[in-house]
Amino acid sequence: MTAVAAHAGGGLADHIHPEPQGFIRKYVFSIDHKIIGIQYMITAFLFMILGGMLAELIRVQLMKASGGLMTPETYNEVYSVHGSTMVWLVIIPLLTGGFGNLIFPVQIGARDVAFPWLNMLSFWLFPPAGLMLYASFLMGAPTAGWTEYPPMSLNAYGAHDGTSMWAAAIFLIGVSSTMTGINFLVTILKMRAPGMTFTRMPLFVWGQFVTAPLLMIATTALGAALAALFVQRQFGVAFFDPTRGGSPLLWQHMFWFYSHPAVYIMILPAFGMISEILPTFSRKPIFGYKMIAFSSCAIAILGFMVWAHHMFTSGLAPALQLPFMVLTMLIAIPTGVKIFSWVTTLWGGVIHMTTAMLFAIGFLATFTLGGITGVFLAAVPFDLHAHGTYFIVAHLHYVLVGGSLMGILAGLFYWYPKMSGRLMNEKLGKWAFWLFFIGFNGTFLPMHWLGMWGQPRRVAVYDPQFQAWNQVASWFSFVMTAALILVLFNALWSMRNGKRSGPNPWNARTLEWQIPSPMPYYNFKHVPSVFAAPYDFAEPLPYRGLEEELT
Amino acid sequence: MAVASVTHGAYAGVMSEEPDQLYVETRELRIQGFLLFMVSDLVLFSSFIFAYLYLRNSGQGWPAGGPKLDIALAAVNSIVLFGSGATMHFALENWKHRNFTKFANWIVMTIILGAGFLSGQVLEYIHIGARWSSGIFGASFYTLTGMHGLHVFAGIIYLTVLLLQAAQGKYTFTKYTGLTLGTLYWHFVDVIWVVLFSIFYLL
Repeated sequence: MTAVAAHAGGGLADHIHPEPQGFIRKYVFSIDHKIIGIQYMITAFLFMILGGMLAELIRVQLMKASGGLMTPETYNEVYSVHGSTMVWLVIIPLLTGGFGNLIFPVQIGARDVAFPWLNMLSFWLFPPAGLMLYASFLMGAPTAGWTEYPPMSLNAYGAHDGTSMWAAAIFLIGVSSTMTGINFLVTILKMRAPGMTFTRMPLFVWGQFVTAPLLMIATTALGAALAALFVQRQFGVAFFDPTRGGSPLLWQHMFWFYSHPAVYIMILPAFGMISEILPTFSRKPIFGYKMIAFSSCAIAILGFMVWAHHMFTSGLAPALQLPFMVLTMLIAIPTGVKIFSWVTTLWGGVIHMTTAMLFAIGFLATFTLGGITGVFLAAVPFDLHAHGTYFIVAHLHYVLVGGSLMGILAGLFYWYPKMSGRLMNEKLGKWAFWLFFIGFNGTFLPMHWLGMWGQPRRVAVYDPQFQAWNQVASWFSFVMTAALILVLFNALWSMRNGKRSGPNPWNARTLEWQIPSPMPYYNFKHVPSVFAAPYDFAEPLPYRGLEEELT
Repeated sequence: MAVASVTHGAYAGVMSEEPDQLYVETRELRIQGFLLFMVSDLVLFSSFIFAYLYLRNSGQGWPAGGPKLDIALAAVNSIVLFGSGATMHFALENWKHRNFTKFANWIVMTIILGAGFLSGQVLEYIHIGARWSSGIFGASFYTLTGMHGLHVFAGIIYLTVLLLQAAQGKYTFTKYTGLTLGTLYWHFVDVIWVVLFSIFYLL
């Protein structure tokens, strides 16, 4: 709490609390939102390496129709932990704890989040939870996919002991997410600089603002489901065991009530990033600012009403199928509004093809594809055909890799100078983009038709007629992995060798670019006043009170 | 790029002349954060309430003729808990009227009533005699009332800590956000019980 209590009056010294000295207080148990953001990113990228290795194990296994690398049992463990890692230890932490922490408090002109201590606690729950997830391999990792449907996740039906460890680890991550959500929401509601009205907030802040309640509400519901699964497994409490009156379908309801909003937790902040990057490198005001902001709200609200579209094949009453189908399809409207606004932002702009911009444009292409297959899958008749096939795998990777991860990489190239004071290497970056774009599409595009032909997901072996396209997917996945290694190498290399960026290398207009890079401990010497939205490139900057920031 | 300081004439007068003033009160932050915490806690209870209603209506294994609940005991127990909500209210009101002795008496009363409620719950558990692992009744009843009981127990500790802190002078008669939050929490636990009592004993 102390860090927000900047006092009125007096000179500069009164405004800025002394920066903690010593490695531990400064870099390990830091309460500074910027350090915590970087801690989140480093941890999440480390888990991404682990999750990526598991992904490559999957692709190597599927090179041959008869498998051969792993037993089916091990294969089940590998894809279950791969999915859990990427969702809970990589994408959500990067988008909320990582980029969220690093950037949005500065964008609203605040000096830290509302509860810096809580922020530190949120982060420090995250690495232990991740280690717990991987420790589950020691006692037999979960085998029923990242969704862990009972009865498959109960030991009597062949699950491993590590499934309880999985539940505990994800529960811990959930507690951390809930605290982050509360923290961010209070910060945005209460700590905006004078004049920073809701319609003047940068769109990345809007992304976090809409995501925070999802983190807070949906994650708690997941916590309940995980706790119930844990006590079912450890103490025989009959929530999900059908032989004792429990209901496996109950798990699906509780799980998807969280996990569908979680899909939007994983994309709304990325929408926010794209909405920052496109206008900056088109030198044009964002088209339809309010529509982008309000469509995010619409997506978040609708996101709570569509969970059962994951359950069309689970015996959902036919009377319920139609409303869930229609509500799901409705989400395409606000999403389409966004895509339209982004494309129109590009239209007639002075496009600067930086690496960040390339990733942002790549996002538009691949995310749109993933979104459209989402509309297919919302249709009950189509879903009955495609459910549980590689079509689903293609769809979810197009939104999570082609959407969320593409956004993350765009954001990494865009905001890297704000962390390090240096630019990432553009030449390496462009190589990485093209390798990534080609590798990604080569890996997941064939899965659409593999799925339509009927290759089931989550199976260690498959019909030999699918082998050629599986090999294509595997070879391209190596290209994608090489691209990601190149990005990580670039980030490490540029820390020492990158070009110095200065405060505002992109001539961007949001507040974080008006202070030095890397950002100073207390962000602003004086809290600025704001009197317009930031995107009007023809006007002078809409801030006052920043005169001393760069001195 | 050097950042231009904005001196555009059109904006003059729109901007505050005093941008450095403290723009946020920590009290406001803490109360809002606490309210949001209660919202997420409410979601936790709601999820299990949904699970209970779902299991009960899915029609397999709910005890025939209804479970053996003692509605009289639960009614008395409810009155005890609601009474503690009233005493907590009086405690905070007396603090606002700057009367420490009365505040302390009322908060001790609240703690005693809270402990009384927990004892009543133990009696009810013994009376029912089912186990947590015995079927879907045990699963939903003991999980929900157990979670609520843990909240009451945590509340008793919370109020004790607040009382000790107040005695040591941590709060003044003008700055007492911690006491406000404690009262909010206690009322929240009361409200949850209204819902639990209704769905288990009246439904």
